[in-house]
Amino acid sequence: MGARTGRLTVPSTWRSRLKAAKDIYEEIYFAPYRSQIYRSYREQRDLFLIMTFSDMLGVPNPAAFYALELYPDLIEEFHQWHLRMGMDQAPEGGFRCC
Amino acid sequence: MGNAAFDRKVLFFGGKGGVGKTTLAASVAIVSAERGARTLLVSTDPAHSTSDVLGLPLGNEPSEVLSNLWAVEIDPAQEVDRYIEQVKARIADSTPPRLAAEVERQIDIARVTPGADESAMFDRFTKILAELGSTYDRIVFDTAPLGHTLRLLSLPELMGTWIDGLIVRRKKVNVLGRMWRSVSGAAQGSSTDDDPVLSALQDRRQRFAAARDVMTDADQTGFVFVVIPEHLPVSETERSVEVLDRNSIPVSGVVVNQCYEGADRERRERESGYLERLRRRFSTHPIIELPRLEAEPHGLDGLRQLIATIPGDAFEG
Repeated sequence: MGARTGRLTVPSTWRSRLKAAKDIYEEIYFAPYRSQIYRSYREQRDLFLIMTFSDMLGVPNPAAFYALELYPDLIEEFHQWHLRMGMDQAPEGGFRCC
Repeated sequence: MGNAAFDRKVLFFGGKGGVGKTTLAASVAIVSAERGARTLLVSTDPAHSTSDVLGLPLGNEPSEVLSNLWAVEIDPAQEVDRYIEQVKARIADSTPPRLAAEVERQIDIARVTPGADESAMFDRFTKILAELGSTYDRIVFDTAPLGHTLRLLSLPELMGTWIDGLIVRRKKVNVLGRMWRSVSGAAQGSSTDDDPVLSALQDRRQRFAAARDVMTDADQTGFVFVVIPEHLPVSETERSVEVLDRNSIPVSGVVVNQCYEGADRERRERESGYLERLRRRFSTHPIIELPRLEAEPHGLDGLRQLIATIPGDAFEG
Protein backbone atom coordinates (compact mmCIF):
# COMPACT_ATOMS: atom_id res chain seq x y z
CA MET A 1 0.00 0.00 0.00
CA GLY A 2 1.24 3.47 -0.83
CA ALA A 3 -0.64 5.19 1.96
CA ARG A 4 2.33 5.71 4.25
CA THR A 5 4.94 6.57 1.66
CA GLY A 6 2.62 9.01 -0.19
CA ARG A 7 3.54 11.88 2.10
CA LEU A 8 7.26 11.50 1.54
CA THR A 9 7.39 11.54 -2.27
CA VAL A 10 7.37 14.82 -4.13
CA PRO A 11 4.43 14.88 -6.48
CA SER A 12 5.45 16.09 -9.93
CA THR A 13 2.29 15.77 -11.91
CA TRP A 14 -1.29 16.70 -11.34
CA ARG A 15 -2.29 13.07 -11.25
CA SER A 16 0.24 12.13 -8.59
CA ARG A 17 -0.69 15.19 -6.53
CA LEU A 18 -4.25 14.03 -6.48
CA LYS A 19 -3.15 10.59 -5.42
CA ALA A 20 -1.03 12.03 -2.61
CA ALA A 21 -4.03 14.03 -1.40
CA LYS A 22 -6.16 10.90 -1.47
CA ASP A 23 -3.53 8.96 0.50
CA ILE A 24 -3.34 11.66 3.15
CA TYR A 25 -7.11 11.73 3.41
CA GLU A 26 -7.20 7.95 3.78
CA GLU A 27 -4.51 8.03 6.40
CA ILE A 28 -6.44 10.58 8.47
CA TYR A 29 -9.58 8.56 8.03
CA PHE A 30 -8.02 5.18 8.85
CA ALA A 31 -5.69 6.04 11.71
CA PRO A 32 -8.28 6.03 14.52
CA TYR A 33 -10.11 3.14 12.91
CA ARG A 34 -6.91 1.16 12.73
CA SER A 35 -6.01 1.62 16.38
CA GLN A 36 -9.54 0.71 17.32
CA ILE A 37 -9.28 -2.54 15.38
CA TYR A 38 -5.96 -3.27 17.00
CA ARG A 39 -7.40 -2.65 20.46
CA SER A 40 -10.34 -5.00 19.85
CA TYR A 41 -8.02 -7.61 18.39
CA ARG A 42 -5.83 -7.45 21.49
CA GLU A 43 -8.81 -7.53 23.86
CA GLN A 44 -10.29 -10.57 22.16
CA ARG A 45 -6.95 -12.35 22.28
CA ASP A 46 -6.62 -11.62 26.00
CA LEU A 47 -10.17 -12.80 26.65
CA PHE A 48 -9.47 -16.03 24.80
CA LEU A 49 -6.34 -16.62 26.86
CA ILE A 50 -8.20 -15.98 30.10
CA MET A 51 -11.02 -18.35 29.15
CA THR A 52 -8.66 -21.08 28.03
CA PHE A 53 -6.43 -20.92 31.09
CA SER A 54 -8.97 -19.65 33.63
CA ASP A 55 -7.98 -22.35 36.12
CA MET A 56 -4.61 -20.65 36.47
CA LEU A 57 -6.45 -17.60 37.75
CA GLY A 58 -8.37 -19.75 40.19
CA VAL A 59 -11.56 -19.96 38.11
CA PRO A 60 -12.61 -23.59 37.57
CA ASN A 61 -12.36 -24.81 33.99
CA PRO A 62 -13.85 -28.21 33.22
CA ALA A 63 -11.57 -28.63 30.21
CA ALA A 64 -8.37 -27.44 31.90
CA PHE A 65 -6.50 -30.61 31.04
CA TYR A 66 -7.36 -30.33 27.36
CA ALA A 67 -6.21 -26.70 27.33
CA LEU A 68 -2.73 -28.11 27.74
CA GLU A 69 -2.59 -29.09 24.07
CA LEU A 70 -3.11 -25.42 23.15
CA TYR A 71 -0.29 -24.33 25.40
CA PRO A 72 2.60 -24.63 22.89
CA ASP A 73 0.69 -22.49 20.38
CA LEU A 74 -0.40 -19.85 22.88
CA ILE A 75 2.69 -19.35 24.99
CA GLU A 76 4.03 -16.50 22.88
CA GLU A 77 0.69 -14.67 23.14
CA PHE A 78 0.72 -15.19 26.87
CA HIS A 79 4.23 -13.82 27.14
CA GLN A 80 3.15 -10.63 25.33
CA TRP A 81 0.10 -10.35 27.55
CA HIS A 82 1.94 -10.31 30.88
CA LEU A 83 4.52 -7.85 29.55
CA ARG A 84 1.68 -5.57 28.47
CA MET A 85 0.04 -5.94 31.89
CA GLY A 86 3.21 -4.55 33.45
CA MET A 87 4.57 -7.85 34.78
CA ASP A 88 8.19 -8.47 33.80
CA GLN A 89 7.87 -12.10 34.83
CA ALA A 90 5.00 -14.49 34.30
CA PRO A 91 2.67 -14.49 37.33
CA GLU A 92 3.60 -16.96 40.03
CA GLY A 93 1.89 -20.30 40.20
CA GLY A 94 0.30 -20.29 36.78
CA PHE A 95 1.19 -20.30 33.13
CA ARG A 96 4.97 -19.85 32.91
CA CYS A 97 6.81 -18.58 29.91
CA CYS A 98 9.89 -16.80 31.15
CA MET B 1 -32.17 -53.79 17.28
CA GLY B 2 -34.75 -55.61 19.36
CA ASN B 3 -35.75 -55.10 22.95
CA ALA B 4 -33.19 -57.62 24.25
CA ALA B 5 -31.02 -56.16 27.03
CA PHE B 6 -27.67 -57.14 25.48
CA ASP B 7 -28.56 -56.65 21.82
CA ARG B 8 -26.64 -53.37 21.43
CA LYS B 9 -23.34 -52.51 19.78
CA VAL B 10 -22.22 -50.53 22.81
CA LEU B 11 -23.03 -51.84 26.28
CA PHE B 12 -22.28 -50.26 29.61
CA PHE B 13 -22.52 -52.40 32.72
CA GLY B 14 -22.94 -50.28 35.79
CA GLY B 15 -23.91 -50.66 39.40
CA LYS B 16 -22.66 -50.55 42.95
CA GLY B 17 -19.40 -52.24 43.83
CA GLY B 18 -19.64 -55.97 44.47
CA VAL B 19 -22.88 -56.67 42.60
CA GLY B 20 -21.15 -58.59 39.81
CA LYS B 21 -20.76 -56.01 37.02
CA THR B 22 -17.34 -57.23 35.98
CA THR B 23 -18.34 -60.88 35.94
CA LEU B 24 -21.45 -60.14 33.97
CA ALA B 25 -19.74 -57.80 31.49
CA ALA B 26 -17.08 -60.46 30.85
CA SER B 27 -19.73 -63.15 30.37
CA VAL B 28 -21.73 -61.07 27.90
CA ALA B 29 -18.53 -60.20 26.01
CA ILE B 30 -17.64 -63.91 25.74
CA VAL B 31 -21.08 -64.81 24.39
CA SER B 32 -20.89 -61.92 21.94
CA ALA B 33 -17.50 -63.09 20.64
CA GLU B 34 -18.66 -66.69 20.37
CA ARG B 35 -21.61 -65.54 18.30
CA GLY B 36 -19.15 -64.07 15.82
CA ALA B 37 -18.98 -60.37 16.73
CA ARG B 38 -15.50 -58.86 17.12
CA THR B 39 -15.87 -57.75 20.72
CA LEU B 40 -13.82 -55.48 22.94
CA LEU B 41 -14.25 -55.67 26.71
CA VAL B 42 -13.14 -52.43 28.35
CA SER B 43 -12.70 -51.78 32.05
CA THR B 44 -12.93 -48.11 32.99
CA ASP B 45 -12.80 -48.80 36.72
CA PRO B 46 -9.43 -47.55 38.02
CA ALA B 47 -9.54 -50.44 40.52
CA HIS B 48 -9.54 -53.03 37.75
CA SER B 49 -10.79 -56.53 38.35
CA THR B 50 -11.45 -57.71 34.79
CA SER B 51 -8.10 -59.51 34.67
CA ASP B 52 -8.98 -61.27 37.95
CA VAL B 53 -12.35 -62.35 36.60
CA LEU B 54 -10.90 -63.65 33.32
CA GLY B 55 -7.88 -65.10 35.11
CA LEU B 56 -5.61 -63.48 32.51
CA PRO B 57 -3.20 -60.55 32.67
CA LEU B 58 -4.52 -57.43 30.89
CA GLY B 59 -3.00 -54.05 30.18
CA ASN B 60 -3.65 -50.59 28.83
CA GLU B 61 -3.66 -51.92 25.24
CA PRO B 62 -6.22 -54.49 24.06
CA SER B 63 -5.00 -58.06 24.24
CA GLU B 64 -6.67 -61.02 22.59
CA VAL B 65 -8.41 -63.22 25.14
CA LEU B 66 -10.28 -65.63 22.89
CA SER B 67 -10.93 -65.67 19.19
CA ASN B 68 -12.97 -62.50 18.44
CA LEU B 69 -12.54 -61.21 22.00
CA TRP B 70 -10.11 -58.54 23.16
CA ALA B 71 -9.91 -56.95 26.58
CA VAL B 72 -8.31 -53.79 27.94
CA GLU B 73 -8.04 -52.17 31.35
CA ILE B 74 -7.63 -48.43 30.87
CA ASP B 75 -4.91 -47.05 33.10
CA PRO B 76 -5.54 -43.32 33.69
CA ALA B 77 -1.93 -42.66 34.72
CA GLN B 78 -0.62 -44.08 31.45
CA GLU B 79 -3.19 -42.06 29.52
CA VAL B 80 -2.06 -38.86 31.24
CA ASP B 81 1.55 -39.67 30.34
CA ARG B 82 0.65 -40.42 26.75
CA TYR B 83 -1.21 -37.13 26.37
CA ILE B 84 1.61 -35.15 27.94
CA GLU B 85 4.16 -36.75 25.61
CA GLN B 86 2.02 -35.77 22.61
CA VAL B 87 1.86 -32.16 23.77
CA LYS B 88 5.61 -32.11 24.39
CA ALA B 89 6.30 -33.52 20.95
CA ARG B 90 4.59 -30.47 19.46
CA ILE B 91 6.63 -27.97 21.44
CA ALA B 92 9.56 -28.20 19.05
CA ASP B 93 7.39 -27.09 16.09
CA SER B 94 5.41 -24.34 17.71
CA THR B 95 7.25 -22.87 20.68
CA PRO B 96 10.02 -20.28 20.41
CA PRO B 97 13.26 -21.99 21.52
CA ARG B 98 13.87 -19.53 24.37
CA LEU B 99 10.58 -20.68 25.96
CA ALA B 100 10.87 -24.42 25.31
CA ALA B 101 12.46 -25.41 28.63
CA GLU B 102 9.90 -23.48 30.67
CA VAL B 103 7.02 -24.91 28.66
CA GLU B 104 8.24 -28.45 29.26
CA ARG B 105 8.44 -27.78 32.97
CA GLN B 106 4.91 -26.37 33.03
CA ILE B 107 3.53 -29.32 31.12
CA ASP B 108 5.07 -31.72 33.61
CA ILE B 109 3.28 -29.89 36.41
CA ALA B 110 -0.02 -30.45 34.60
CA ARG B 111 0.42 -34.19 35.16
CA VAL B 112 -0.84 -33.75 38.71
CA THR B 113 -3.57 -31.14 38.18
CA PRO B 114 -6.99 -32.08 39.54
CA GLY B 115 -9.12 -33.73 36.91
CA ALA B 116 -6.17 -34.89 34.81
CA ASP B 117 -6.94 -38.59 35.33
CA GLU B 118 -10.59 -38.13 34.57
CA SER B 119 -9.92 -36.10 31.43
CA ALA B 120 -7.31 -38.55 30.16
CA MET B 121 -9.65 -41.49 30.85
CA PHE B 122 -12.41 -39.73 28.96
CA ASP B 123 -10.08 -38.99 26.06
CA ARG B 124 -9.23 -42.68 25.72
CA PHE B 125 -12.89 -43.56 26.07
CA THR B 126 -13.82 -41.39 23.06
CA LYS B 127 -10.99 -42.96 21.03
CA ILE B 128 -12.20 -46.47 21.85
CA LEU B 129 -15.77 -45.57 20.90
CA ALA B 130 -14.46 -44.28 17.57
CA GLU B 131 -13.24 -47.81 16.78
CA LEU B 132 -16.78 -49.17 16.76
CA GLY B 133 -17.68 -50.44 13.33
CA SER B 134 -14.09 -50.51 12.07
CA THR B 135 -12.03 -52.58 14.50
CA TYR B 136 -14.87 -53.91 16.65
CA ASP B 137 -18.49 -54.89 16.13
CA ARG B 138 -19.35 -54.61 19.82
CA ILE B 139 -17.79 -52.78 22.75
CA VAL B 140 -18.68 -53.81 26.29
CA PHE B 141 -17.76 -51.39 29.05
CA ASP B 142 -17.30 -52.63 32.56
CA THR B 143 -17.63 -49.37 34.42
CA ALA B 144 -16.50 -47.97 37.73
CA PRO B 145 -19.06 -47.70 40.55
CA LEU B 146 -21.99 -45.56 39.47
CA GLY B 147 -20.95 -42.13 40.72
CA HIS B 148 -17.77 -42.11 38.64
CA THR B 149 -19.48 -43.55 35.61
CA LEU B 150 -22.36 -41.12 35.59
CA ARG B 151 -19.80 -38.35 35.71
CA LEU B 152 -17.83 -39.89 32.84
CA LEU B 153 -20.97 -40.25 30.75
CA SER B 154 -22.03 -36.65 31.34
CA LEU B 155 -18.64 -35.24 30.32
CA PRO B 156 -19.27 -34.96 26.54
CA GLU B 157 -22.12 -32.56 27.20
CA LEU B 158 -20.20 -30.51 29.74
CA MET B 159 -16.94 -30.35 27.78
CA GLY B 160 -18.76 -29.78 24.51
CA THR B 161 -20.43 -26.64 25.81
CA TRP B 162 -17.15 -25.30 27.14
CA ILE B 163 -15.25 -25.97 23.93
CA ASP B 164 -18.05 -24.46 21.82
CA GLY B 165 -17.59 -21.25 23.78
CA LEU B 166 -13.85 -21.26 23.13
CA ILE B 167 -14.35 -21.88 19.41
CA VAL B 168 -16.68 -18.87 19.12
CA ARG B 169 -14.09 -16.71 20.90
CA ARG B 170 -11.21 -17.98 18.82
CA LYS B 171 -13.05 -17.29 15.56
CA LYS B 172 -13.64 -13.74 16.70
CA VAL B 173 -9.92 -13.36 17.45
CA ASN B 174 -9.10 -14.59 13.94
CA VAL B 175 -11.61 -12.26 12.24
CA LEU B 176 -10.15 -9.26 14.08
CA GLY B 177 -6.63 -10.48 13.33
CA ARG B 178 -7.43 -10.55 9.61
CA MET B 179 -8.98 -7.06 9.78
CA TRP B 180 -5.96 -5.76 11.62
CA ARG B 181 -3.55 -7.21 9.10
CA SER B 182 -5.49 -5.79 6.20
CA VAL B 183 -5.74 -2.21 7.56
CA SER B 184 -2.14 -2.20 8.77
CA GLY B 185 -0.89 -3.70 5.52
CA ALA B 186 1.19 -6.17 7.51
CA ALA B 187 2.15 -9.60 6.25
CA GLN B 188 -0.73 -10.10 3.84
CA GLY B 189 0.76 -13.42 2.82
CA SER B 190 0.67 -15.05 6.25
CA SER B 191 -2.85 -16.34 6.36
CA THR B 192 -4.27 -17.39 9.71
CA ASP B 193 -6.99 -19.49 8.15
CA ASP B 194 -4.99 -22.48 9.38
CA ASP B 195 -4.91 -21.36 13.01
CA PRO B 196 -3.55 -24.40 14.91
CA VAL B 197 -5.44 -23.40 18.07
CA LEU B 198 -8.77 -23.30 16.27
CA SER B 199 -8.20 -26.59 14.49
CA ALA B 200 -7.17 -28.31 17.75
CA LEU B 201 -10.39 -27.08 19.38
CA GLN B 202 -12.49 -28.17 16.42
CA ASP B 203 -10.92 -31.65 16.34
CA ARG B 204 -11.71 -32.10 19.98
CA ARG B 205 -15.29 -30.87 19.63
CA GLN B 206 -15.80 -33.20 16.71
CA ARG B 207 -14.54 -36.19 18.73
CA PHE B 208 -16.73 -35.36 21.75
CA ALA B 209 -19.76 -34.88 19.52
CA ALA B 210 -19.15 -38.25 17.83
CA ALA B 211 -18.90 -39.97 21.23
CA ARG B 212 -22.07 -38.30 22.39
CA ASP B 213 -23.93 -39.30 19.21
CA VAL B 214 -23.10 -42.94 19.83
CA MET B 215 -23.84 -42.80 23.56
CA THR B 216 -27.29 -41.28 23.12
CA ASP B 217 -28.37 -43.53 20.24
CA ALA B 218 -30.81 -46.06 21.70
CA ASP B 219 -30.45 -48.31 18.65
CA GLN B 220 -26.72 -48.70 19.19
CA THR B 221 -26.16 -48.17 22.89
CA GLY B 222 -27.57 -49.57 26.10
CA PHE B 223 -26.78 -49.06 29.75
CA VAL B 224 -27.39 -52.20 31.79
CA PHE B 225 -27.92 -51.80 35.51
CA VAL B 226 -26.57 -54.63 37.59
CA VAL B 227 -28.15 -54.91 41.04
CA ILE B 228 -28.57 -57.43 43.79
CA PRO B 229 -31.96 -57.60 45.50
CA GLU B 230 -31.02 -55.48 48.51
CA HIS B 231 -31.99 -52.06 49.75
CA LEU B 232 -28.90 -49.97 48.87
CA PRO B 233 -28.27 -51.23 45.32
CA VAL B 234 -31.95 -50.94 44.39
CA SER B 235 -32.25 -47.41 45.80
CA GLU B 236 -29.09 -46.28 44.03
CA THR B 237 -30.32 -47.69 40.74
CA GLU B 238 -33.62 -45.82 41.05
CA ARG B 239 -31.70 -42.58 41.53
CA SER B 240 -29.13 -43.22 38.83
CA VAL B 241 -31.63 -43.85 36.10
CA GLU B 242 -32.72 -40.23 36.45
CA VAL B 243 -29.17 -39.04 35.82
CA LEU B 244 -28.95 -41.20 32.71
CA ASP B 245 -32.29 -39.85 31.49
CA ARG B 246 -31.07 -36.30 31.99
CA ASN B 247 -28.06 -37.08 29.82
CA SER B 248 -30.19 -38.94 27.24
CA ILE B 249 -28.28 -42.18 27.74
CA PRO B 250 -30.58 -45.10 26.94
CA VAL B 251 -31.08 -47.92 29.44
CA SER B 252 -31.46 -51.34 27.81
CA GLY B 253 -32.14 -53.51 30.83
CA VAL B 254 -31.62 -54.48 34.44
CA VAL B 255 -29.86 -57.58 35.68
CA VAL B 256 -30.85 -58.70 39.16
CA ASN B 257 -27.91 -60.77 40.18
CA GLN B 258 -27.44 -63.29 42.97
CA CYS B 259 -31.14 -63.99 43.52
CA TYR B 260 -31.66 -66.31 46.45
CA GLU B 261 -33.38 -69.57 45.65
CA GLY B 262 -32.95 -71.40 48.94
CA ALA B 263 -35.38 -72.50 51.63
CA ASP B 264 -35.43 -69.31 53.76
CA ARG B 265 -38.93 -68.02 53.01
CA GLU B 266 -38.52 -64.68 54.74
CA ARG B 267 -35.48 -63.88 52.63
CA ARG B 268 -37.22 -64.88 49.42
CA GLU B 269 -40.14 -62.58 50.24
CA ARG B 270 -37.84 -59.70 51.05
CA GLU B 271 -36.03 -60.13 47.74
CA SER B 272 -39.23 -60.36 45.74
CA GLY B 273 -40.26 -57.04 47.29
CA TYR B 274 -37.16 -55.42 45.79
CA LEU B 275 -37.83 -57.11 42.48
CA GLU B 276 -41.33 -55.67 42.53
CA ARG B 277 -39.89 -52.17 43.05
CA LEU B 278 -37.55 -52.62 40.10
CA ARG B 279 -40.35 -53.93 37.87
CA ARG B 280 -42.39 -50.82 38.66
CA ARG B 281 -39.48 -48.48 37.97
CA PHE B 282 -38.38 -50.29 34.79
CA SER B 283 -41.77 -51.29 33.46
CA THR B 284 -40.70 -50.99 29.81
CA HIS B 285 -37.27 -52.60 30.18
CA PRO B 286 -36.31 -56.26 30.27
CA ILE B 287 -35.38 -57.44 33.77
CA ILE B 288 -33.12 -60.47 33.91
CA GLU B 289 -32.97 -62.47 37.13
CA LEU B 290 -29.87 -64.58 37.72
CA PRO B 291 -29.47 -67.09 40.53
CA ARG B 292 -26.81 -66.95 43.21
CA LEU B 293 -24.11 -69.44 42.22
CA GLU B 294 -22.52 -71.85 44.66
CA ALA B 295 -19.04 -70.53 43.96
CA GLU B 296 -18.02 -67.08 42.82
CA PRO B 297 -17.37 -67.54 39.09
CA HIS B 298 -13.93 -66.66 37.81
CA GLY B 299 -11.66 -67.82 35.05
CA LEU B 300 -13.08 -68.71 31.64
CA ASP B 301 -14.51 -72.02 32.92
CA GLY B 302 -16.15 -70.39 35.92
CA LEU B 303 -17.74 -67.78 33.68
CA ARG B 304 -19.28 -70.52 31.54
CA GLN B 305 -21.35 -71.60 34.55
CA LEU B 306 -22.72 -68.08 34.83
CA ILE B 307 -23.29 -67.84 31.08
CA ALA B 308 -25.39 -71.02 31.26
CA THR B 309 -27.83 -69.23 33.60
CA ILE B 310 -28.38 -66.22 31.29
CA PRO B 311 -31.56 -66.63 29.22
CA GLY B 312 -30.74 -66.73 25.50
CA ASP B 313 -33.36 -64.11 24.63
CA ALA B 314 -31.31 -61.51 26.55
CA PHE B 315 -28.92 -61.45 23.59
CA GLU B 316 -31.37 -61.33 20.71
CA GLY B 317 -34.97 -60.37 21.09
